[in-house]
Amino acid sequence: MQLHVNPSDELPIYRQIMHQITDAIAGGRMAPGEQLPSHRDLAGQLVIAPLTVKKAYDELERLGLIVTQRGRGTFVCERLPAVEPAQRRERLRDAAQRLLRQAALSTVPFEEVLSLLEEIQKGME
Amino acid sequence: MKVLEFNNVHRAYKRGVDVLQGVTFCLEAGEVVGLLGKNGAGKTTLIRIAMGMIEAQQGGVRIFGLDPRKDALEVKRRVGYVSEDQILPEFLSVAEVIRIHRGLFPTWDDGLERRLRERFELSPKARIKFLSKGQARQIALLCAVAHRPELLLLDEPAGGLDPSARREFLETSIQLLNETGTTILFSSHHMTDVERMAGRIVLIHEGRLLIDDVLDDLREKYSLVLVPHGPEGRRQQLQGLKGCLSVRDQGDALHAIFAYEPGRCRSVVERELGIPNAYCASIALEDMFIELVGGRS
Repeated sequence: MQLHVNPSDELPIYRQIMHQITDAIAGGRMAPGEQLPSHRDLAGQLVIAPLTVKKAYDELERLGLIVTQRGRGTFVCERLPAVEPAQRRERLRDAAQRLLRQAALSTVPFEEVLSLLEEIQKGME
Repeated sequence: MKVLEFNNVHRAYKRGVDVLQGVTFCLEAGEVVGLLGKNGAGKTTLIRIAMGMIEAQQGGVRIFGLDPRKDALEVKRRVGYVSEDQILPEFLSVAEVIRIHRGLFPTWDDGLERRLRERFELSPKARIKFLSKGQARQIALLCAVAHRPELLLLDEPAGGLDPSARREFLETSIQLLNETGTTILFSSHHMTDVERMAGRIVLIHEGRLLIDDVLDDLREKYSLVLVPHGPEGRRQQLQGLKGCLSVRDQGDALHAIFAYEPGRCRSVVERELGIPNAYCASIALEDMFIELVGGRS
């Protein structure tokens, strides 16, 4: 698993780990059923406190993304939880606000933002 | 279980010049606590009081429920200590320094000693005198941990080391944490190291505890708020708001730290000062440190 943490980032380290694992699962870099390193191994690799990794794993487990089986290890869940539509919107809201503020600063009209989004969407397909 | 307790610790070096003016906090087993403060804030004094090297003039300290001065031997056997200005006898060799320590501690772990010696690539015959600062600190760490202490007291352990020696020190500490879950109190000026190691932060300023909180909560439940100078008395107004920990002048703006998350700060500032959309954000430990103690007299 390729993770990297930056202690001076605005997010605390356990959140950085959560985000990167979530991204890896969402982006298909980690498959359902795949095993994660133990929290101690990952702590050693990233040179951070083991409890910080444990906190990230616990949170991801609570969200239903990974599961720890006693004596066997931690795995990506076979069935990933469907995200509530309301929650989905909330997650995007921050990013959308930043985008629109940036657009306003550079006096880019809203229509142009929309066409840019469409262009990017096409590129991703 | 409480491993280390500071209870209303007072200490002055000169009459009337208090270094510590009633410091109280404790470490539970397995906790890793970063002790922060400016130079002269009293971090070293506090750690030396815990080691029993100096005495509190009022209040006291307990380690495993024992008194580090009265039960010095028992406490020292269960504690490891590394400090920035630790002096190893110059004329001895690496092997001799290790042998002396091995003799002092019944719980000495030969396997761990060997592993660390190999990892640090320390030649047993080398004289302490000719070691680099980084190598000397590695021996100090080896001697502090090879008896598998229940509590590690690290006073600026990476002070004066270059980034790669510091990282090496950190990696070794984390390996030890992984193996034994040692309780650790460490002071440091390297905030990124503190962010990597610590679960909790204790910040002392002008002899008192300014912050004692979980590191992640400091990152997520505290904010930096920027507002324009504005009318006379705004600084006092800010200072008087509930949740406000500090205010300082910084160029065109007043910088305030609040013990609230950014969203809540924004609404407090709008409601109380009539400023909509103030800049409110979570900040890293280094900035938090500067905001809280850097701008004060």
